Amino acid sequence: MRRLFLRRAGLALLLMLAATALTFALVTAAPGNVAALIAERAAGAGADGQMIARIADELGLNDPLPVRYARWLGDALTGDFGISLRTGKPISEEFAERIPVTATLLAGGGILALFYSLSIGLWGAASNGRTTDQLLHGIALVGASTPNFFVAALLVIIFAVGLGWVPSFGLYGWTSWILPCITIALFPGSVLARVVRVNLQEVMARPIATTGFAKGMSRGEVLLREALPNIAIPYITTLGAQFTLMIIGAIVVERVFGLNGIGAFFIEAIRFRDFVGMQAVLTLFVVFFVSVNLLVDLVAMLIDPRLRRARRV
Amino acid sequence: MSGPVYAVKNLVIDLYTPTVSVRAVDGVSFEVNSGETLAIVGESGSGKTVMTLGPLGLMPEGVTIDLNGSVTAAGQDLVTMSPKKLSKLRGGQFGVIFQDPMSALNPMLKIGPQLAEQARRFAGLSAKAARKEAVSLLARTGIPDPEDRYDRYPHELSGGMLQRAMIALALAARPRVLIADEPTTALDATVQAQILALLRQIQEEDGIAVVLITHDIGAVSVLADRVIVLYAGRIAEEGSAIDVLTAPVHPYTRGLLASVPDFRSDTATGTREIPGLPPDQTRLLPGCRFADRCAQAITSCRRKRPEVTRVGGAAVPHRAACPVVIAVEGVARHA
Repeated sequence: MRRLFLRRAGLALLLMLAATALTFALVTAAPGNVAALIAERAAGAGADGQMIARIADELGLNDPLPVRYARWLGDALTGDFGISLRTGKPISEEFAERIPVTATLLAGGGILALFYSLSIGLWGAASNGRTTDQLLHGIALVGASTPNFFVAALLVIIFAVGLGWVPSFGLYGWTSWILPCITIALFPGSVLARVVRVNLQEVMARPIATTGFAKGMSRGEVLLREALPNIAIPYITTLGAQFTLMIIGAIVVERVFGLNGIGAFFIEAIRFRDFVGMQAVLTLFVVFFVSVNLLVDLVAMLIDPRLRRARRV
Repeated sequence: MSGPVYAVKNLVIDLYTPTVSVRAVDGVSFEVNSGETLAIVGESGSGKTVMTLGPLGLMPEGVTIDLNGSVTAAGQDLVTMSPKKLSKLRGGQFGVIFQDPMSALNPMLKIGPQLAEQARRFAGLSAKAARKEAVSLLARTGIPDPEDRYDRYPHELSGGMLQRAMIALALAARPRVLIADEPTTALDATVQAQILALLRQIQEEDGIAVVLITHDIGAVSVLADRVIVLYAGRIAEEGSAIDVLTAPVHPYTRGLLASVPDFRSDTATGTREIPGLPPDQTRLLPGCRFADRCAQAITSCRRKRPEVTRVGGAAVPHRAACPVVIAVEGVARHA
C-alpha cells in the first residue's frame, strides 16, 4: 500500500508541474503587456517605448518561455511568487492575509456539506420511498440546481436585511461566517446527499443487506452498520471532487459577502490584469486540487480493505 | 422439545415488485422439527425461497410481499409480530446461509467480529467468551488457522472458505433452525461435497432443524430426511426422502428425477428433460399448473386444482397432488 501511495504522490507532483507550466504559458499568452503596465504605473503618460523596453529587459520578459518558467518555478519553490502588479505588495504577504479567510470558508462549508448530506441522505434512506423521502429528495434537487449567487442574495435578504440576525457584508465576528458557509455548502451538500441516498438504496438491495437482516438487525442497524461502510468510497470520491469545486464557489461567495480571501483577490487580479497575481492564485488552485485528490486516494485506501493490500494470505 | 420449530399453514404469498405482481406461494403448508433435515426442491421461480424466507421478512428490498396464512416459530405467531420482535427472533432462532457467500458477506467487515457479535447478542456471551466462541466456530466449520482468519476480510478467503464462514455466522447465535438457501450452487463441485458433509455433521452434532432449499437432487439424497417438491408455488409431492426419490408419484417429480444425469448408466439417452417451461406465474389458470407439460394430463387437470392425497403406508406421510396418476396406476392410498 505504501508503494501504491508513493506512486500516486509522484504522479501528483508531475501533475502539479504540468498544470503550473500550462497556466504559466496561458497567462503569458493573455493579451496585455506587463512591462507597459508597470511603466504606465511608474511614469503615467510619460512612459515611452524606451522605458518599456528597459523594464522588459530588466524583468527578463524577453527570455524564452521555458527559461522564464524555470526562473518562476525556482522562486515559487522558495515561497516567492513575485510582487502583485495591482497592490505592489509581495504575493506571499497577500496570501498570508487571505488564505486563512478562504480556508475558514472552505472548512466551514465543507463541514456543513458533510453533515447536511449525511443527515439528509440517511434520513431519506431510513424513510425509504415514503413522503419524507420524496420531500428530502426534492430539497436536495432544488439545492443542487440553484446557483450560489442567488442563494446568497436570498439568504442576505431574509437573514441579514429582513431579520437582522447576521451581518450581510464583511467580517464582524463569527456570525459573519454563517451565511457564506451555508451558501457555499448548499450545492456540494445537495449533490452529496443524493450520492448517499442513491448508493444506500443500491446497497440495501444487495445480498449483504439481507444477510444483515438475517443476523437479526433492524433496518436502521443494517443501514448504519452494513450499508453505510459500503458507500464510503463513492461518497469520499464525490466529497473530494465537490470540495475542490467549492473553491470556484468561493470566488463568487467572497465577492458577494465582502470577504477578503483568495477568490476576491483573483477577481481583482483579473480585472487589473495582474498577471503575477493570477499566476500565483492559479498555482495555489492547482496545489489545492491535486492535494485534495491525493488525500481522497489515501483515505479510500485506508477505508476499503480490498484496496489495502499490505497483508495478504 | 416436541413439536415443530418452524411451521407454516396454508401460506399464500403475493409478491410485488415495481413491475410485476405474482402469487409466488399458493396454499403451502409445511413444518420442520428439531433434528431433521427438510429439503425444499423446485426449479428457479417455483417459490421455494419466498416460502421459506418470506415469512421471516428476508426478501430483498424493493420486493414487497403480502402474506396470508399462519406461520409459527418458537410458539409465536410470525404473521402478526412487530418488525422489531421479528428481527430479534430471526437473529436468535434462525440461521441463514445464502447462495453466494461472496456477495452475501459484507466486504467491509471482518469475519470474526461479526461472529462474536452474534454470539454476544443472541447467546448472551461476554466479549471475551464470544471471541473464543467465534474462533471455535471457525475451527468447527473447518477453517484452518481460525485465530488468523478471525481478523480477515471476506476478499482474503476463497469461495469454499467463505461459505464455511457464512455457516459459522449462521450458527453463531445458536439458532434452532438453519436455513440453507442453495448453499452449494455458487461453489466448485469438489467444494460442494465438502459443504454438504459439513452441513450434515453440524445437523447431527447439534440436533437442530435444517431446511435445505435446492434444485440439486444429489444434495437432497445426501442430506434430507423429508422432501417437499414445489412447482409454481404449490406442493406437488412431499414425503420421506427415500419415498419421494425412489417411488415418486407426481409426474413432475418423476420428470425432475429423470432429468438428473446418471453417470453410471451406459446409455447416452439416460437423461430426459421435462418438455416446456414453467408457467408464467403472473397469469395462472385454475387447474394443475403442470398440466401443460404433463404427458398424463387429462381434461379435468386444467379445470380443478388437484387435491393433495396421502399415498402408501409409510410412517412419514407421503403425499402427492396428482389424482390422475393415483387413479390410473392404482397407487395405494393411505389406509
